[in-house]
Amino acid sequence: MALELIVNLILLFGCIGFFVNVSTTMPHSAVNELGAEQWPQAILILLILAIGYNLFKYFRNNRREDIAAAFRDFIPSVGRLLKSKLFTGMVLVVVMALMYEPVGFIVTCLLFLIAYGLLLGQRNIPVLLLSSVLITVILYIGFSVMLGVMLPRGQFLPLRNFALFIESLVPRF
Amino acid sequence: MFELLTSGLTVVFAPKMFLLIIFAVFLGTLFGALPGVSATMAVTLGIPFTYKMDAVSAIAFLVAIYCASITGGGMTAILFKIPGVPSSAPTTYDGYPMAQRGEAGKALGLQLICSAIGGIFAAVCMLLLSPQLTQAALSFGPSELFAISFMGLSILTSLETDNICRTIISGLLGLLLACIGLDPLLGVPRLTFGTRFLTSGIEMIPVMIGFFAVTEVLKQTNKPAKLQAVGGEDSKTKMSAKMPSLKELFSLKWIIARCSVLGTVIGILPGAGATIASFLCYSVEQKISKTPEKFGTGCLEGIAAPETGNNAATGGSMVPLLSLGIPGGNAAAIMMSALVLKGVTMGPLLLVNQPQFLSATFASMFVSNIIMVFAAIVIAKIFVQVLKIPYSILGPTIIMMATIGAYATKNTAVDVILMAISGLIGFVFVTCRFNSSALILGLVLGVICESNLRRAYTIADGDTLLQATMNIVARPVTGIVLLICLAVLLSPVIRPLLKKKKGAAE
Repeated sequence: MALELIVNLILLFGCIGFFVNVSTTMPHSAVNELGAEQWPQAILILLILAIGYNLFKYFRNNRREDIAAAFRDFIPSVGRLLKSKLFTGMVLVVVMALMYEPVGFIVTCLLFLIAYGLLLGQRNIPVLLLSSVLITVILYIGFSVMLGVMLPRGQFLPLRNFALFIESLVPRF
Repeated sequence: MFELLTSGLTVVFAPKMFLLIIFAVFLGTLFGALPGVSATMAVTLGIPFTYKMDAVSAIAFLVAIYCASITGGGMTAILFKIPGVPSSAPTTYDGYPMAQRGEAGKALGLQLICSAIGGIFAAVCMLLLSPQLTQAALSFGPSELFAISFMGLSILTSLETDNICRTIISGLLGLLLACIGLDPLLGVPRLTFGTRFLTSGIEMIPVMIGFFAVTEVLKQTNKPAKLQAVGGEDSKTKMSAKMPSLKELFSLKWIIARCSVLGTVIGILPGAGATIASFLCYSVEQKISKTPEKFGTGCLEGIAAPETGNNAATGGSMVPLLSLGIPGGNAAAIMMSALVLKGVTMGPLLLVNQPQFLSATFASMFVSNIIMVFAAIVIAKIFVQVLKIPYSILGPTIIMMATIGAYATKNTAVDVILMAISGLIGFVFVTCRFNSSALILGLVLGVICESNLRRAYTIADGDTLLQATMNIVARPVTGIVLLICLAVLLSPVIRPLLKKKKGAAE
């Protein structure tokens, strides 16, 4: 409940900020012309109205005590989120996205499959390791070798050399 | 017409393409059968496979995945009471009770035959209707094209009738995201905040992949899905699709015919996709049935109606995409993005200049629906084994496939980061009950709507904006279509008010 209010407020202030940005940074068009700034302005006005109505509905449908209780529980719930599997999953996805190009596909995929598999409760380590290696190989051969989709080799020299070494083991079609 | 058919079949029956279509059918069925992997996500995950294909082969491949995933969703609905795709939800009502009675094989066989008939009927309709619609659309100017693309947006209020405000906000956010980057007519930077990353705009495919694939895996992270097939003579090791008898099929002929037509019409309407079609077909057939009490107890009619309807909608949804350049649903929106990525200009001229897009789509639908029936027995057997793969292995694999798809868009890590951010935002979106499909619809249609509207204003040539608006609305087609849009937009708001008034009066 608290998250919904916070998200709506962020959206509202964001839209107001965007409106100011569009109105002040873009050239104004002629009176008989629908210019580059007017389309986003129209969308932003509609958004501000819709979010305003959504906030009105929020306060109308929820009692003040419930909102206060939700906010009292908000900090503890953030603490719970930080300790949850979900948050770790989010961090893993972001870390994977950040290391995808510098570290390269093979190592990133292998590490991500192992880490996320552990997170999702896979306790059979040999199965996890074997399946991760197998899936990495299948994805690599399927996309890079057979379909010719470019997959990053990594920017660090040892990792790049490792990727090239792995590639040299796979026959090209 | 004959030439068109020949060229489509030539594309599909080229040895490499034919193998790819068979692969797409298997892939689509497996993706569709996996709970948590919707038809849209199946098409999204199929995109990386198309990067090295030409545009015509790519659409044929993605269409095969789309058709197969809708069919695959019905399998889990029958065997596990878990619809693999939302459009298979009504199949659970009668499919699962049949499976419990030990008739899973017959239920699967009927589901596959009905899906194939619905799919093939819709493909034929698409082949016949698309050129006519294209001819009509060619006489349209920017104002008419704006009105038609706005029609796609007008279904926003119908996407989630009990959550209209949040759905509208989601759609508007999609439209706003589409504004980021250089404006389509003058090339003026908008909402870029001086960063060069935003100058080229928000790439659609990584956002879609993030919203549909990453968000879904994150949702499953807390409670991974566990599946257990029902008992009976066909369960697990003895899994196979047993075709229903000709007599049984013949008794369902009118249901299959009605649902094929209904599903195709629903599919053509922008936004109203396979899910609405299957629910509508089920409820219509129940209403007009002489034995409505049989529905929900495991009757053949209850499987035939939704499965014919949802597959017919797949062909229907391709009609506005190919003839007008307006996606009929989420999966069509993703196919459109994949084609745009290949430099294809969507719109009425597509089928005039490159009719092979229509013929290849038709041939792919036709062939994949037939392959589906023959491949059913194999698919049913292996897919039960695939479903035994724990989510701890499947979930991360889905994310890695999504990552490959996002990266391969432009071979830049920015798109992978955009996908990850979209996945996180998508999760917050779902938690706060915003509508991801509405956002994607806004993102896809935003640029088309804006550029056509602004061109229309330039041509309308009024002294003021108001006068120009009047000139635009006064054009007959534009005026009528905009009126329809207004009615569609407002109907979910007005209908409950009218009902309330009627209730109070009574």
